[in-house]
Amino acid sequence: MGGEPDPDLAREAIEYCYEQGWTDGLPVVPVSQPLLDRFLAHTARDPAEVLWRMDHLGRECTVRTAAINAAMAGCLPEYFPLVLAAWDAVMRDRAAKGGGWQSTSGPAPLIVINGPIRGELEINCTGGIFAAGFRPNATIPRALGLMLRNAFGVAPHVFDQTTQGIPGRWAICFGENEEESPWEPLATEMGLAPGASAVSCTLTRTYEFVDNRHTQDPEQLLNDFADTLGRTGSLIFRGQSAGVVFCPEHAQMLANAGYSKSDVKDWFIEHVGRTEADLRRAGKDAVSEGGPGARSASESERAPADAFTPYFTGRKDVPIIVAGARNAAISMVFRVFGEWSNSSVPIETVRSPVAATKGA
Amino acid sequence: MICSDAFITTADAMAEVRGAPGYRYLTTPHPVAGLSAEQVRERAEGIAAEVAAMLTARKAA
Repeated sequence: MGGEPDPDLAREAIEYCYEQGWTDGLPVVPVSQPLLDRFLAHTARDPAEVLWRMDHLGRECTVRTAAINAAMAGCLPEYFPLVLAAWDAVMRDRAAKGGGWQSTSGPAPLIVINGPIRGELEINCTGGIFAAGFRPNATIPRALGLMLRNAFGVAPHVFDQTTQGIPGRWAICFGENEEESPWEPLATEMGLAPGASAVSCTLTRTYEFVDNRHTQDPEQLLNDFADTLGRTGSLIFRGQSAGVVFCPEHAQMLANAGYSKSDVKDWFIEHVGRTEADLRRAGKDAVSEGGPGARSASESERAPADAFTPYFTGRKDVPIIVAGARNAAISMVFRVFGEWSNSSVPIETVRSPVAATKGA
Repeated sequence: MICSDAFITTADAMAEVRGAPGYRYLTTPHPVAGLSAEQVRERAEGIAAEVAAMLTARKAA
């Protein structure tokens, strides 16, 4: 086949996809059987394998359906093992299994990639990790969103009950900047072999930057983070899980001052929280018995105004990642929607994709 | 079943995928989450007759 592709034909196919209700509002890539076969050739998994079943909706997503949606999202076929691993990783999250995808919170999957696959697929790990501009970063999380919509029927206004949602809900995916991080990669911390290509994923609720180019004192810097990590607005239960995507400059400053990743987590465990007066002012000072301890406004004072409530119960509640450019001391605080599985999923690699015959 | 009225669309869609289109349920004004125990009691009193009517109608059916 030679010559330029026909844009009118392409548009016709794109409009057809809109008419079927297959898109998230942006155009999708129309998928032919040969394109689907190329995706399936990148995994050893059976196209008929059920990735996940939502029993209450009576719907499931197979490897084949995932491949169609990854292709529609604009992924290249070689991204497909990563899409599958990202799905597996997020579904280790208790909240994702328990109906989190349909929550009024509209949580966003945060997808973090480690290992050599970052270079092989040209995944952005440095400048603009939360911004657009890189194909795998933009299309891999979009694939998960399309799987939710098209395989499970979880679309806004019906089964997706999102009140407002999170900006960039289906666009948060980046590689860890291992090369400029002073600490071990996230996947290594989670127990995988050093150098493994892996993905870690959890559902998240908010993102808020910490811009601190103002101090060389690590305690002052950590206090600035603690203030943002300790917001009351996002506090629903007794405690909450929140993490930091440190820019290399902040991470290096802390490491140079002698802080390991665990030291930073331990500092946050001790210092992130609010006083009784703060919680009372926000109408969140009472905690119900049992379960996760839902918060509400109490009718009378429960504790001295200066009593301190820490939010985190252990290192598992404070994920730390290093990513972004080394050009400024700007990091991002994020809040975990429920509870991160604290694990990473190795990415399957099919070095020589098998002949594109599967799933035909 | 009693559903707050912000979730009617979802409840109807849910009934449909579970093979029970048109499934009847009662509604109460949204929101519910922030109500005090006394306000919840008032809501319950307000809807009790409808609950009884629905339960007995189903029994008779």
